[in-house]
Amino acid sequence: MIKTLVFLNADLASSIALRYACQMAKTFEMDIKSMHVEEADAEGNPPGTGWVRRTWEKGLLGTAETEISRLINAERTSCPTLGSPKMVVGDREAEILRELEEGSYQLLVEGILLSFDASSFENRLRSKLYKKMPCPLLLVKNLVGLSKIALLLEDYTDPRILFSTFFELAGSSTLHFDMFRVIHQKPGRLSFKKKAPESSNSALGRTDEFLAKANNVLEETGRHPLTVKTVRDTPAGIAETLQDYGLVVTGIPRQMAKNSPMLEVLSRVPSAVLLCWQ
Amino acid sequence: MRILVGIDQNPYSAHTVNEVARLAANTWANVTLLGLQTKASLSEEGSSAGAVNHPLSKALREYRELFLGHFKDHECPYVQREYGYKLIEVKKGLWEELYVAKSARKDLKSRIRVGNPVKELLAEAQEEESDLIVLGCDQKNDCTWEHFSTLPQKIANDAPCSVLVVKEENKVDKIVCCLDHDRVSQRSLEMINQLVTLHQAKLVIIGLTEGDELKAEVENKMDAILRYYAARDLEPWIEIVQLSSLDAFIAQEAKWGLMALWMGKKSILEKVLPRKKVDKLIKGSDSSVLILR
Repeated sequence: MIKTLVFLNADLASSIALRYACQMAKTFEMDIKSMHVEEADAEGNPPGTGWVRRTWEKGLLGTAETEISRLINAERTSCPTLGSPKMVVGDREAEILRELEEGSYQLLVEGILLSFDASSFENRLRSKLYKKMPCPLLLVKNLVGLSKIALLLEDYTDPRILFSTFFELAGSSTLHFDMFRVIHQKPGRLSFKKKAPESSNSALGRTDEFLAKANNVLEETGRHPLTVKTVRDTPAGIAETLQDYGLVVTGIPRQMAKNSPMLEVLSRVPSAVLLCWQ
Repeated sequence: MRILVGIDQNPYSAHTVNEVARLAANTWANVTLLGLQTKASLSEEGSSAGAVNHPLSKALREYRELFLGHFKDHECPYVQREYGYKLIEVKKGLWEELYVAKSARKDLKSRIRVGNPVKELLAEAQEEESDLIVLGCDQKNDCTWEHFSTLPQKIANDAPCSVLVVKEENKVDKIVCCLDHDRVSQRSLEMINQLVTLHQAKLVIIGLTEGDELKAEVENKMDAILRYYAARDLEPWIEIVQLSSLDAFIAQEAKWGLMALWMGKKSILEKVLPRKKVDKLIKGSDSSVLILR
């Protein structure tokens, strides 16, 4: 069972994330817990200690608890094992990180609405929480079925980390997935999408060495993709190729370059992205 | 639902009638095919003939047949059925053999109005209490109409009901609906549902925002819309667009099949997309445009 933490706010993004996690739990074996962090106003520091502080926190959590509970109750029919959320007052990122570490969680799920402006996604990925968190991150943008899953590999991707992280989450479930070798192209240049050569392990030297290495790692796991494709396109073009996939999985470094093309791809993917830290 | 279809003798009108027939097959709407003729063009083509023998009347008959051709005989709700003589109890103890003709379950009217096409179409829409006006246009000439070039734009701006401007050359594989307020009618949701089902298209709900986040009431409405469509086995995407980026968004997404705008009275879109911009959208975009009211 993958111990999963879903972070909730009383908003549409969280509602979608929770529904997605519940849907995902039908395919992946997941134990879902939820939490909400109510942040104190920037102006006021928490007053005093002891019962004074507890009373103050209780007041702060009052409305939030009602709204978060309403969100959870709406999903109880499709997700009957969903328990009550953990409600905490404090710094959002610090509290989530503490919970992930103390609870030994294996996956964090958050919602983020798909935005035409890529900067909101890119800014989110620069969060300190994501630099320190001990587990993969699932960012959910839309509620899409999980019939198609894509694994993305580009030049800096360590296939060993990507596959081990993803297959640990997948557990024993029989998942079908496609593998994409992604080559970023500048706008105006010729792009292509093609099936990778079948003889990817050939010694003749005509094959993509990167894919050959990835395939060797995959062989060790005993898992096989349905298809293997090479996509050479702009970030927008790559994202369009992935639009029918319910989950896009990739490995990324904790600190991505500001104008990283992969960052733009991930911001434009409309469904959900699972980030395996490298 | 009452659908009013504005038509003339051009191929784009034939395409429009085909699209309306497909929609009517799913919705069993009452449909009026309205031929629009200016007085000037009537006199060009022979004033003595009048509307009766005008080429438009021949086109109207052909469109009617084209429309009915989408239905199998026994399933067509627009055809009057005759059952013949039947013994009916006219009063207690008295029976009479009467000729019984069952009327069509739904209306299919064919009409021609002569005059200013915009005024005549709007007048018909008002009299018929139409829910939806559908028009085609000549895409190669900035989405115009022969004899009254700006008809589609004027109807889209001035009609009291929803207006669909159908573009001929684009397959509808994505329907993009822009929403910026919480007053969305059940009827408009159902209309979108019908179009998505008809075209087997992907549905994208765009939340328009002036700042970084959606207004709470718009978020709540989008959540309700998401659940409404999920209950009907549709999986719409939600996407946020800042109003400042709307032009860029529209320009980029020319590959949509259909763009729907919820232009309610409280809508920011009514301010941000003034007439000129709606005109531009109708003229310039490859997508069909649906103005929802």
